[in-house]
Amino acid sequence: MFSREVINPYAPRMGFEAADTDDDAALARRIGGRERDAAAEAAICRRFGPRIRLYGLKHLRSEAAAADLVQDVLVMVLTKLRDGAVREPERLASFVLGMARQTVIDQQRGGRRRARILEAFPLDLTPAAEEAPEPIDSERLKLCLGALPERERSVLLMTFYDDRPADAVAAELKLTAGNVRVIRHRGLDRLRDCMTQAEGTT
Amino acid sequence: MTRARCDTTPHDLLAYWLGELDEAREQSLEEHVFACAACTKRLAAIVDLGAAIRGELLSGAFSFVTSAPFIRRIKEAGWQVREYDLPAGGSVACTVTPDDDFVVSYLRAPLSDVRRLDVLIDDTTSGKHRVNDVAFDSEAGTLAAVTSTVYVKGLGPSQRRVRLVAVDGVEERVIADYTFNHSPS
Repeated sequence: MFSREVINPYAPRMGFEAADTDDDAALARRIGGRERDAAAEAAICRRFGPRIRLYGLKHLRSEAAAADLVQDVLVMVLTKLRDGAVREPERLASFVLGMARQTVIDQQRGGRRRARILEAFPLDLTPAAEEAPEPIDSERLKLCLGALPERERSVLLMTFYDDRPADAVAAELKLTAGNVRVIRHRGLDRLRDCMTQAEGTT
Repeated sequence: MTRARCDTTPHDLLAYWLGELDEAREQSLEEHVFACAACTKRLAAIVDLGAAIRGELLSGAFSFVTSAPFIRRIKEAGWQVREYDLPAGGSVACTVTPDDDFVVSYLRAPLSDVRRLDVLIDDTTSGKHRVNDVAFDSEAGTLAAVTSTVYVKGLGPSQRRVRLVAVDGVEERVIADYTFNHSPS
């Protein structure tokens, strides 16, 4: 059983710093050892939680489904590590990615694997914050978006409304995909510069 | 290793995120990102920025030029869209209600030989301004413009005159004028 204290990424980080600086293989070996290593397990959750969430968002396009995926994969990974069933600890990231891929495939096939796993491990796994980016200042974003040239603003809004690729946006604007990529590229660069400058002024 | 340096550009990460890469490139980039803390952070920042941009769009904070197919997608997603369709030289009595998520104007005009189109706006509330090089559908002869609902919901009675101008080098030519007479609902 994984306790909430061990895996909650928002718990006080005292005592976890050493684990955060270890590489994946060292963490994996610590979890597979005879003694229970709660700090190493927490570090694995903080390290891989955000990566699994991003993978889930990309392939499932749902925050709720991505959050479920994080739980499912972390439970399976920690179980395998505890059992010493990860044959190449130095390739832990590949192992976790493989787990995530397989879980998404299972979900898309309508499998009920998740319910069985969570029955066995009633957990409170949430994405870790080890690699979290800075929060976005919405007032600054509004100013910066408003300052963009019209076409760049149009392309960015139409792209991010539902994460549309360049060829789809191009078809709607009667442009070429290459043209949309160039406009998008310029718009994002200009937006990032504006956001950075705004941060520097305060 | 988890601490690998990230050489992946934000634009490659965005292409990955939007599904623009071929399968082999997508898989290899995915494997790299999954093993790289710096790339994960960079990708998360892009995803968060995209979500924030979407939030601003849906909040009605922006006026912007778009396309009729995009407006159709917004309507299909269940957003409440108030639409005005004006021929060249047309005028309309317009309003907005608290339930409206978007206000869209379709400006019709002969645009088949236009290379660049600018929009001149003369508004009794916000004054005069010019929007350069907007997107338009030359075949359909249409410009689809979204007006900020945040802005129009705060308007009293007002008038907005809109002029489409074709630009070719230093030459400019008036294509059409439109008038919007706004009253609060």
